[in-house]
Amino acid sequence: VIVPFGERALLVELRATGAPLALFESLEADPIAGIVEVVPGRSSVLVELDDAADMVAVSASLAARAGGAPPTRRAGRLRTIPVTYGDEYGPDLADVARLTGLTESEVVAAHLATELSVLFCGFAAGFAYLGDLPRPLHVDRLATPRTRTPAGAVALAGPMSGIYPAELPGGWRVIGRTPLRLFDPTRRPPAYLVPGDRVRWERITADEWVARAEDAPDW
Amino acid sequence: VIAVVDPGPLASVQDAAGRRGWRRYGVPTGGAADAWSARLANRLVGNDDAAAVVEVTLGGATFETDAPATIALTGGLRLRVAARPVPASQAARVAAGTRIDVDGGDGARGYLAVAGGIRVPIVLDGASTDLRAGFGGHEGRALRAGDVLGLGPPSGMAHRWLGRAPSGPIRVLAGPHPAALPVLAASRWTVDPRADRTGVRLDGPGGVPGAEVDSMGLPLGAIQVPPEGRPIVMLADRPVTGGYAVPGCVIRADIGPVAQLLPGHDLEFAIVDVAAARAAWAVREAELELLEPLDLASDAGWAGAHP
Repeated sequence: VIVPFGERALLVELRATGAPLALFESLEADPIAGIVEVVPGRSSVLVELDDAADMVAVSASLAARAGGAPPTRRAGRLRTIPVTYGDEYGPDLADVARLTGLTESEVVAAHLATELSVLFCGFAAGFAYLGDLPRPLHVDRLATPRTRTPAGAVALAGPMSGIYPAELPGGWRVIGRTPLRLFDPTRRPPAYLVPGDRVRWERITADEWVARAEDAPDW
Repeated sequence: VIAVVDPGPLASVQDAAGRRGWRRYGVPTGGAADAWSARLANRLVGNDDAAAVVEVTLGGATFETDAPATIALTGGLRLRVAARPVPASQAARVAAGTRIDVDGGDGARGYLAVAGGIRVPIVLDGASTDLRAGFGGHEGRALRAGDVLGLGPPSGMAHRWLGRAPSGPIRVLAGPHPAALPVLAASRWTVDPRADRTGVRLDGPGGVPGAEVDSMGLPLGAIQVPPEGRPIVMLADRPVTGGYAVPGCVIRADIGPVAQLLPGHDLEFAIVDVAAARAAWAVREAELELLEPLDLASDAGWAGAHP
């Protein structure tokens, strides 16, 4: 379903798992003239048009892309994110264990065992929503959000995991922290994790974290 | 240069356009919350629309330049040069070291333009400050007392604006969850004190049926309604995606008026169609042209050289 959203935007609603990323990747690889902004969501893609674009024609082109055969997707790039779990790196790990009925080790093991995809971005520059977590790891957000969550915090909420790209207020439960710097507005693209990428976690010790603090990965 | 003597509660370097094409990576559009007023401020001092300006919030800000300069303030705040009020929406000439005060007014934000434009590094194709992520603008942060901002070379003429500020209900288009739109449009709303560059929260007598939905991209002006029922009109610094129902979207022509609402102000919505929204934008664009050249050299009354 494609609905107008404001004067210059169309929201393409796509319920099938993977369909928003498939359309996003299609538009990245082969742009439709007149589209100036593409924003993937969890079950939609927002496209914004320039003032001169013909909304009806763009809508028809999008319908042709989004309809038809089930989405075929390239395998996204695999990104490995080093994480130190628990203690001061993951102050909510104990609560997550309590809420899920798992031990802290089991929470960490389940997190490490899950390969996630960057489904979409949002919240702040460079924040990637990673999903979906296995059901046993689904937890509610904090009742009272933190006023400061440190850069690199690896956190959970509902079916998703995410990494705070900068020190920000936040309501997700922090189970670990990566030393990597994942957002740099001087690089292209400015984010290490982009929609469609696959993400794996690699456990590192606190000493390794300190040694790698502020590391900027190749991207 | 122009120096920040006192930034007031919040001042930052912004441009009218914000950033385009980076929202797929989570980078918000940003830019002036009332972009129309930022463009007008630039035109009053002869700048290109895209030149960077200072967005001042609520007033209480003071600046000074180290050399004679042409300045202008637009939006909801008021300008004094060397303690004398400058009439709204017209350029003024300031001497080196003259005190430039931006005072509170009937709106939330003022745009201080200086002929030549504020010079800051261009980051991700924009001059605006991303206050959340901490990049762009002046050192990626809100302005502080003692900051010194470079200026470009002045090029154009000074002007006075002959138009009138818009008034009336805030016009909205249906959004992706339009069921609640009639309720939204039937109520009178009051601006909550937490209004900021991300969005303007509204309080009302009844509330609107809201919901959590799958996170989706949000255009400028999207009206999100969380389950507790109080709408939020999303502005320049909105996150690129949001997870609440969106019954409507404020039209482009009325974003500036929403960004100027002060806590406690009342507002009403009126539902329009896309044709009306585009016509309203054409009117706003035409109003930017209502300019009369101003010969500041002959107008020493508030030129600031003789307090």
